[in-house]
Amino acid sequence: MVLLEIEDLHASVNGKEIIKGLNLVINEGEVHAIMGPNGAGKSTLSYVLTGREGYEITGGRIKFKGRDINDMPIEERANEGLFLSMQYPVEIPGVSITTFLKHAVNANRKYHNLPELDTFEFIKQVRQDGKLLGIDNDMLKRHVNVGFSGGEKKRLEALQMTVLKPSLAILDEADSGLDIDAMKVVANGVNALRDGRRSLLIITHYQRLLNYIEPDFVHIYADGKIVKSGDKSLAEKLEKLGYSNFVCGNG
Amino acid sequence: MAGLFDRFAVVKGAAYFKLLASRAREIFDSRGIPTAKTEEWKYTKPRGLDVDNYEKSAVQFMYDFEEIPIDAYRLEFINGRLNQNFDMPEEIRVESIFMAPEELFGHLADINKNPFVALNTANIEEGVFIRITSTLKKPLLITYKTSVNNTNLFSNIRNLILVEEGVSSEIVEYFTYAGNEKSEYFNNIVNEICIKDNARLSHYKIQEEAFKANHIAYNAALVGYKSYYKSLCVQKGANLARNETEVRLADENAATDVDAAYIMNGWATIDTTTWIEHLYPRTYSNQLVKGVVGGQAKGVFQGRISIPRDMVGVEGNQLHKALLLSDMAEVDVKPELEIYADDVKCSHGAATGVLDERQLFYMRIRGISEEEAKQMLIDAYLDDVLSKIDNNALYSWVRDRIK
Ligand SMILES: Nc1ncnc2c1ncn2[C@@H]1O[C@H](COP(=O)(O)OP(=O)(O)OP(=O)(O)O)[C@@H](O)[C@H]1O
Ligand SMILES: [Mg+2]
Repeated sequence: MVLLEIEDLHASVNGKEIIKGLNLVINEGEVHAIMGPNGAGKSTLSYVLTGREGYEITGGRIKFKGRDINDMPIEERANEGLFLSMQYPVEIPGVSITTFLKHAVNANRKYHNLPELDTFEFIKQVRQDGKLLGIDNDMLKRHVNVGFSGGEKKRLEALQMTVLKPSLAILDEADSGLDIDAMKVVANGVNALRDGRRSLLIITHYQRLLNYIEPDFVHIYADGKIVKSGDKSLAEKLEKLGYSNFVCGNG
Repeated sequence: MAGLFDRFAVVKGAAYFKLLASRAREIFDSRGIPTAKTEEWKYTKPRGLDVDNYEKSAVQFMYDFEEIPIDAYRLEFINGRLNQNFDMPEEIRVESIFMAPEELFGHLADINKNPFVALNTANIEEGVFIRITSTLKKPLLITYKTSVNNTNLFSNIRNLILVEEGVSSEIVEYFTYAGNEKSEYFNNIVNEICIKDNARLSHYKIQEEAFKANHIAYNAALVGYKSYYKSLCVQKGANLARNETEVRLADENAATDVDAAYIMNGWATIDTTTWIEHLYPRTYSNQLVKGVVGGQAKGVFQGRISIPRDMVGVEGNQLHKALLLSDMAEVDVKPELEIYADDVKCSHGAATGVLDERQLFYMRIRGISEEEAKQMLIDAYLDDVLSKIDNNALYSWVRDRIK
């Protein structure tokens, strides 16, 4: 079944066109990787998909689970199962991780007409999930991302994904700032969620992460559109040859 | 208790109160309600207050009032009158304000300095003199209830609180209403507070008056040797509200924390005015005031710190921060540092900001609605102040009330 369908998407930020005719279809259970040079518009794509203010769709359309998402508020997209692990996670002073996660999970449950979670059970679950990602109880008491190292932030993104169990997770440079061991831990966390139905859209610069989370498709994204698609061997080729060979059209 | 609270005509010391009241009346009549030309009142403009157009008493309607659910000794005023059915432990002596010692009454809150103190003093009919003689096991909660229908009630309540030497105590004041939410009643409150040596008073106040009401309060505290006064005021009600706190640190090692939080919408003006006087060397003060202002409302903070000559080793810090939720919201801040001594540590700061789009986005992509995300950020913002409430039950209750 088709989960995400992007058709001839054009989008701009502050009146400047960044996405210029992008097509992409992601089916249930598939893992797609997008690789592309700095400034190509990869993060912009993630914001357009999630509905961030200021990122305007000027042409084409996006369907998620068969619904056009243009008029869906950010939180509704999230509650429908769209997740974004941010390239630069945001600090929220004064809000502990546990409180934040509890609000998120309960908002999700409310959306699906489920009763609120029992706090005690919830905390037990989060602690278990955290442990697998190397996040201990003391860290869960800290305020969201405040004073976290780059790697800790990425682990916290992975924890949120584990707790929220989205149907489509966009991982925007989920590997940046992670040491080799942490990358394995995060990759394991992501892989644990794969059940044949959940899908992933992985934005990365390096093939390394893709060794741990194997993609079904690799897309090369440049100047606002996908210029080449292939299987995971494309990522290896890209690592050897660099973007210029593809972007200039002679790859 | 019967007869104790009769009006002052029959109470001892009546001559002194009468004299002070008539002097206060003269002062108020000659100066009137302050206008925008009065420096202390240039941001908070009480011009709509026509004190002759208020009623001094009102038919009392029996509404259900909000009560703070904490374990406490309780006193209550209903429509400006003390409810004489109360039960106090031995360590809290409650008497009529007209039994207050003459050497204290009227000496802490000066009728010459503040027009509303003069107005209160000219009109006192009710109030309590509270003497705390040994350390309290529970806080004393004073609830001021206004239950009015169509009457514009005007209450001038006057209290004097005396904390004896070596005593630790906690007082919570709560202003609430029931009935006609559009009532334009006016509460004009003066508290004189004297904390003797080696003593402590934590004074919490929660102001939730009706949205068209007026609330003006003057708290004047005198803090003795090695004593500590903590004042924490949370304001969220009234159309015009001012909570003014004057603290005199009157002996060495006297210290105070004067903190406040306010949250408002609509057209309200909420004012926090403080004046800390470091009258002895090695006295310490800290102030943290945070506000959240929406709609077309206006938050005002005026903070004055006085450190006269030779007051060495004094520390005085002050910080005001506000979050503006709309383009029409306004905040006016006036710090006044009067420092004439060397060798003091003094700081003040002010910052105004808006909700951070990045934070809201981050919360919403996790499924949290925009409204809830804003509330969470507001809660977090005010928690710097609210978390200073040492009474856990009160803290949780207040946190829920700011929603
Ligand atoms: N708010 C904005 N205002 C103006 N330009 C913007 C804004 N946001 C993004 N851009 C521009 O859009 C382009 C694409 O940015 P984007 O962050 O999507 O790139 P990226 O592919 O994720 O790059 P990287 O690999 O460095 O993360 C860049 O040129 C960037 O400067
Ligand atoms: Mg990016």
